[in-house]
Amino acid sequence: MDFNIKLMAWSFVNFLALLYILNKLLYKPMLQMLDDRKRTIAESFQQAESARQEADRIKGQYQGQLAEAKKEAQEIIERATKMGEEMREDIVKNAKVEADRAIKQAHTEITREKNQAVAALRQEVATLAVLAAGKVVGKSISVQDHEKMVKEFVDEVGDLPC
Amino acid sequence: MFGSAEAAQAHGGGLISDWGGMYLTTAWGVMALLVLIAVLATRNMQKVPSGLQNVVEFLIEGMYNFLEGMLGPERVKKYFPLLMTFFLFILASNYIGLLPWVGHEGPEAGGIGKYIPPTANLSVTAALAIIVFMSNHIFGLLTHGLGYFKHFFSPMWWMLPLNLIEEVVRPVSLAMRLYGNIFGHELVVGSLLAMVPYFVPVPIQLLGVLTGAIQAFVFTLLATTYIAGATEKHH
Repeated sequence: MDFNIKLMAWSFVNFLALLYILNKLLYKPMLQMLDDRKRTIAESFQQAESARQEADRIKGQYQGQLAEAKKEAQEIIERATKMGEEMREDIVKNAKVEADRAIKQAHTEITREKNQAVAALRQEVATLAVLAAGKVVGKSISVQDHEKMVKEFVDEVGDLPC
Repeated sequence: MFGSAEAAQAHGGGLISDWGGMYLTTAWGVMALLVLIAVLATRNMQKVPSGLQNVVEFLIEGMYNFLEGMLGPERVKKYFPLLMTFFLFILASNYIGLLPWVGHEGPEAGGIGKYIPPTANLSVTAALAIIVFMSNHIFGLLTHGLGYFKHFFSPMWWMLPLNLIEEVVRPVSLAMRLYGNIFGHELVVGSLLAMVPYFVPVPIQLLGVLTGAIQAFVFTLLATTYIAGATEKHH
């Protein structure tokens, strides 16, 4: 085994030169790039995470708004129902009042009509009675007498309940 | 080398073989190849890699992460270029021997090839081992100052001779291991080629693919262990 100092020295220098060149050409740029890539990936993950959080937040917000809207809609429906109910009651009440009034009016009308009819009937009955009496008596009665008698009769009968 | 002087003489050479110039030529070829790959891989680098950039990235990132596991995130930044260069240079040197136009060591084939894997020469591996040795102690000194020498006296002062022997044995074993494996492989392939030029050397060549990667990795791993030990903050 011959050991060659010259070759060894050359190899020594060679290696250091290669170390220098590769460090400059390969390791530094590539490790730098790998580092950059690592950072980019980390950033992307971070961005994705923050985007997810933002999405969650917005989703929560929308859900809140939706729930609120639902509640509001429910309230509106309830209010409308209540209003409808009130209106119905009002209308029914009004109708009852109107009906009562109509009935009362009808009653009074009837009473008045009845009274009128009774009065007319009395007059007629009296006249007929006087006529009949006249026939029975055999002489006619003058108009004055007749009216006087009717009046007396009516006054007399008027107090009677009919 | 074994037989190479005789082989060179037999081929009427001696001009390049006498001091191992062919190893140097091949080493330059390996370096040129590595630099070419480096340039091609880093030219127009993309955040989403493809092709050559992907392959080189895989190597660099894989080795970086592996060394980070041994050295920690701080030291790996400092020592990565040196260790990665060991790995790349040794790997490329070992694999260059698998190429068909690169000659092999051996009784018959010795003088044929002008190009021989640089790592099949002890002078080359010794240079690499010396760089490991030097960088290991320089990094230790830079980290611990003069206190670095304390570890030669640990655990007991009378362990100094043993510690010194260990420090010498480390680079010697590094150089011998790498040289022995690659040279042995080349020698076997060369002998087989001389006997049976076809098919028979193929399994050995395949083994060379494995050996080349393993030896490059082992060298880098041991260098990392030495540097990690020397620069560890243990007190």
